[in-house]
Amino acid sequence: MKTPMESLPNNFTAVDPDYFKVKLVNWSIQSSCYLLVALLPLILRLFGLPAPWWLVIVPPVLVIGIALLVLRILRRQVRALGYQERTEDLVVRSGVLWRKQLVIPYGRMQYVEVTSGPVERRYGLCKLTLNTAAGAATAVIPGLRAETGEELRERLVAAGEANQL
Amino acid sequence: MNQWQRVHPASPFVHGWLAIVGLLWVYWQNTDELSWADRFSGSRLTWTVAIGSAALLLVLIFYALSWYFTRYKISETHVYVNSGMIFRSQKQARIDKVQGIDIAQPLVARLLGLAELRFDVADGSASVMRLSFLRKAHAHQLRTEILALAQGEVAAPSEDVEQPPAAEPVPLMAKVPAGRLLASLLLRVPTIIGLLGALTVGIVSITGNGAFVAGLLPILLGFGGWFYKELNNSWNFSASATDTGLRISHGLADTKQQSLPAGRVQSIQISSPAFWRLLGWYRVEVNALGVGDEEFSNLLVLPVGDFNAVTQVMGILLPDLGAENQREVLLTAITTGTTHGFINSPMRAKMLSPGAWKHQAFLATQNCVITRFGWLSRSAAFVPHNRIQGMGWQQGPWECRHELAGVRLYSAGGTIIGYLHQLDASVASEFFAAQAQRQVER
Repeated sequence: MKTPMESLPNNFTAVDPDYFKVKLVNWSIQSSCYLLVALLPLILRLFGLPAPWWLVIVPPVLVIGIALLVLRILRRQVRALGYQERTEDLVVRSGVLWRKQLVIPYGRMQYVEVTSGPVERRYGLCKLTLNTAAGAATAVIPGLRAETGEELRERLVAAGEANQL
Repeated sequence: MNQWQRVHPASPFVHGWLAIVGLLWVYWQNTDELSWADRFSGSRLTWTVAIGSAALLLVLIFYALSWYFTRYKISETHVYVNSGMIFRSQKQARIDKVQGIDIAQPLVARLLGLAELRFDVADGSASVMRLSFLRKAHAHQLRTEILALAQGEVAAPSEDVEQPPAAEPVPLMAKVPAGRLLASLLLRVPTIIGLLGALTVGIVSITGNGAFVAGLLPILLGFGGWFYKELNNSWNFSASATDTGLRISHGLADTKQQSLPAGRVQSIQISSPAFWRLLGWYRVEVNALGVGDEEFSNLLVLPVGDFNAVTQVMGILLPDLGAENQREVLLTAITTGTTHGFINSPMRAKMLSPGAWKHQAFLATQNCVITRFGWLSRSAAFVPHNRIQGMGWQQGPWECRHELAGVRLYSAGGTIIGYLHQLDASVASEFFAAQAQRQVER
């Protein structure tokens, strides 16, 4: 009897470790936005408007707590990301607590997109999106080196043409 | 044939009758406080008539221009539709690529005896070409002619092109009587909630609490809208078999005739809402490519029917389940049990789905994957291997603790997903590996 995990695909190519920095930048931007909103009652109070004490204290504490929890698993999230090119399909893995693997046969692929946002571009990274006719079956691989992403796209397009059903 | 023709002169009115209603409403809003005698006396009458006729003239000129610039032509090889005066649009469809022609009648068109032709063309273009509006008889005749042309054009008979229906009466597969449809809708949970809500509103308004009623009213309207939509969509429903698939006609206010070639079906869902299970009633929906109005809605192929109706419809949409004892397998799929090789969730899934764990199961046959899920309201999804666009394995933290995992099968053309819920983790992984092989086989 095999253990449950053995029959799942396992030798994945990890994404670039620099993607952690991208995630970190995004995390700090997001967290500061949330914190700003959570601090509104405090600001109101400073300007002399009435705001109950619990409203001043509870939201910022919650926001900071959740942000720190997210920060704790951020590195593991990046390490969990990976992809594997098999002979007939592409497997993409993601998630730490909610773990996922998505299999897309090359023959069902409609188009491949490589995009990169300003933060990703700073670290020379890009994101590859693989679309099929079904909206839910969309594979996303973030945190690829720009040249790796281009090469992968070329290979996927070639494989897609070879396997067209 | 083969020359430019105009659509029915009333067409712009059917498209734009709301504009006239809007004008009347604006007039009503502005003269709300006046009595009828005030409205039609003195200088006020002159102004009313002047402004009214000017507005009407403007609308009529607009209608006339719109009608003048909308033309269509049917040649040996193409159907052309030109429209628009400022932004001209010229659409064409190759007749040999026409896969089916739906006839639709929105409410106003139906009152005027008009119909719209919707061309379903297999050339990869996203939008459906519409020709609106024609007299109903003319529309039917044109549909037959174009389909006959499509038949003649292709050298080798293409499997997807539908036969002209006039050739012989098509066998009726399923018909939904009005009484059964109403009964089935009354047994749906949203209807029951809506009726209970209405009852509450009635009682409260008698005891005189206006604010409460005002708060509930929008919600009730929502339920009413849902009920009307279902009723409108399923009224007078009939499905008949054609050479290539099903022909559906339905509608209360807006009637529609659609053809669904079996080759376009991506996945099928047979569901049985909570109270229907007592009566053995089912509802069948499909994900289909290029059929139906919206990309993200499923096509209803049977609003309500018993097991026999389900087998008949399934016999056309998915004739070969890829298993022996098809009838029994189908019955097991839409009821419960683990006979015929269905594998269900293990006992430890009871913690996560106390009601549903016993019923959620799957079966991978030679042709498709059958999955069953749900507790009070149960559904079974049928996804053929070669229609699967992608497959996802997933495991949440609680599933991980109990060594469970799930798999989802995605197909195109609608919202139906094959759910394999909370299987034993090793069963799920083995299925995941085997299915990856099955779905790329040709």
